[in-house]
Amino acid sequence: MSKVETILANMKAVAANPKQAIADAQAKTGKAAVGVLPVYAPEEIVYAAGALPVGCWGKATKNISKARTYLPAFACSIMQSIMEMELEGVYDDLKAVLVSSPCDTLKCMGQKWKGKCPVIQFVHPQNRNLESANVFLVEEYKLVRKALEEALDVTITDEAINKAIDVYNENRQAVRKFLEVAADYPQVIDPVARHAIMKARFFMDKADHTAAIKELTAELEAMPKEAWKGKKVILTGITAEPDEFLEILKEFDIAVVADDLAQESRQVRVDVPEGDEPLMRLAKQWQNMYGCSLATDRDKDRIPMICDMVEKYGADAVIYCQMKFCDPEEFDYPLLYSKMEEKEIRNLMIEIDQQASSFEQIRTRIQSFVEMF
Amino acid sequence: MYTMGIDIGSASSKVVILKDGNDIVAGEVIQFGTGSSGPQRALEAAFEKTGLSFADMTKVVATGYGRFSVEQADKQISEISCHAKGIHFMVPTARTIIDIGGQDAKAIKLDKRGTVSQFFMNDKCAAGTGRFLEVMSRVLEVKLEEMADYDSRATEVVSVSSTCTVFAESEVISHLSNEIPKENIIAGVHASVASKACGLAYRTGLEEDIVMSGGVAQNAGVVRAISRELQKNVIVAPNPQIIGALGAALFAYDEAMKAQ
Ligand code: SF4
Repeated sequence: MSKVETILANMKAVAANPKQAIADAQAKTGKAAVGVLPVYAPEEIVYAAGALPVGCWGKATKNISKARTYLPAFACSIMQSIMEMELEGVYDDLKAVLVSSPCDTLKCMGQKWKGKCPVIQFVHPQNRNLESANVFLVEEYKLVRKALEEALDVTITDEAINKAIDVYNENRQAVRKFLEVAADYPQVIDPVARHAIMKARFFMDKADHTAAIKELTAELEAMPKEAWKGKKVILTGITAEPDEFLEILKEFDIAVVADDLAQESRQVRVDVPEGDEPLMRLAKQWQNMYGCSLATDRDKDRIPMICDMVEKYGADAVIYCQMKFCDPEEFDYPLLYSKMEEKEIRNLMIEIDQQASSFEQIRTRIQSFVEMF
Repeated sequence: MYTMGIDIGSASSKVVILKDGNDIVAGEVIQFGTGSSGPQRALEAAFEKTGLSFADMTKVVATGYGRFSVEQADKQISEISCHAKGIHFMVPTARTIIDIGGQDAKAIKLDKRGTVSQFFMNDKCAAGTGRFLEVMSRVLEVKLEEMADYDSRATEVVSVSSTCTVFAESEVISHLSNEIPKENIIAGVHASVASKACGLAYRTGLEEDIVMSGGVAQNAGVVRAISRELQKNVIVAPNPQIIGALGAALFAYDEAMKAQ
């Protein structure tokens, strides 16, 4: 196996079996695991506490039965599977979970946590451009820090948080660089591999992930670029799972050259800015976030941002991965759709359903879409 | 030269044999779809009618939900592209297609050359599809093919508002027990199918001509309801059920010409 193949195989193994990956990371570092629900949380505080932050983004093709007791039928598909897993005790080994409240569903999820570990819920302010928003968020993060200290029985110092910020900023930069480079190597980094690399981020120590990503990027850069005969797309939405969907893209020679997925690029879009007071630095990161359906933006910069991405990456089309029953994303879709139609950008909406078990309809849509070119 | 298009849907199987990319020498429909004896029977019917066999087909293209199950096919093309192709052949002025089949509904936007420029599908839910009408025809004890007649005698359109087919069924049952005339209930059922299809169609921008295809286009009640909802004239494609298979046969012809 080449170095690239080895790294990709490792990442895929981590993404496919988070439980094992977390156990491995814990065995290596002795760290306790803390869950982090979508979409954004100050993971750096968890890392500074000497714990391993673990992303909890549901599970593909998870059958829902117990969750029906606690969630309305029209709650988004990702939260349905998280609730199901809570009830099955999947998260009970975690020392705590962090839950933000950027949408109605998450606001309620945090308030009715059914797992055994403590839940730490906090609120991102939506009047983001005010300085007082930062002051508010610092207060929220102080509560998060205190709750984590109690759950983990540690003291979290400013110095440790500043160090964690460095680790995370380095990871974000490395991932962004990787994504830029990977766009030129669709033959190597296919949609499934690309997603695995982004997903593995949630279950590995960030420093280890950074090291692997940097190595992968360097290997790629040393390879000759080949012309791509298939189509190039940009994915936007909350997630582009399960792998069956990405396999269909592969089947029709569609490369993902960039994304605006909450689970992927949005996680690394904005670094934590410089400063002395770490919680204020983390608060400002939220203020600086852009192009996301969950962060209020009166100018809706996400729309031109995606159109610009199409140009920058020479993409043939945009695929809107609409998480089933995710209202923030549903609100953005018509705006983006009309802009793309106006600019004659090819686009397709696919409904993402973690509970899906048949992919024939998606195959038909993707095939029809490819035939349009 | 003969080419063939096979459209295997969820509820029916259709076969078209085309001579020289122009004459439809067979257009057979069997009301059984993928996984049933339908595809085989549709093929047999087409061969019997024409005295032809697979050996006479220069190219075969399969489409529809069961397109990957046709061994003899040289190529599989999606039903969206095939419907567009078939409609453009039948009605060259078509710019919007509303296709309602057994289990899905689609709205397709065409450019002047008949190429698909955008499409929307409802493939997740029985509401607004042929299946919905079948369920209603059963509770109303009115044959599917008679529903349009009933609709034409309606004096009022009764509301059937549930999105869910099962709930809509109870709604219809309660209308029946309130002795509301079947004619008016059926007009309501058709309006409900129309509103779902129009929800998709509005997104295309609704450029005219608007053409309907798929099995449900044979129901004049639904066509009237769609036309009323859109406030536009709606053309029904000739032989609407075979449009997908026709498109496939046309693609097969293109393939044959390319190969020559
Ligand atoms: S998928 Fe959408 S609705 Fe569901 S939790 Fe995430 S943002 Fe909220």
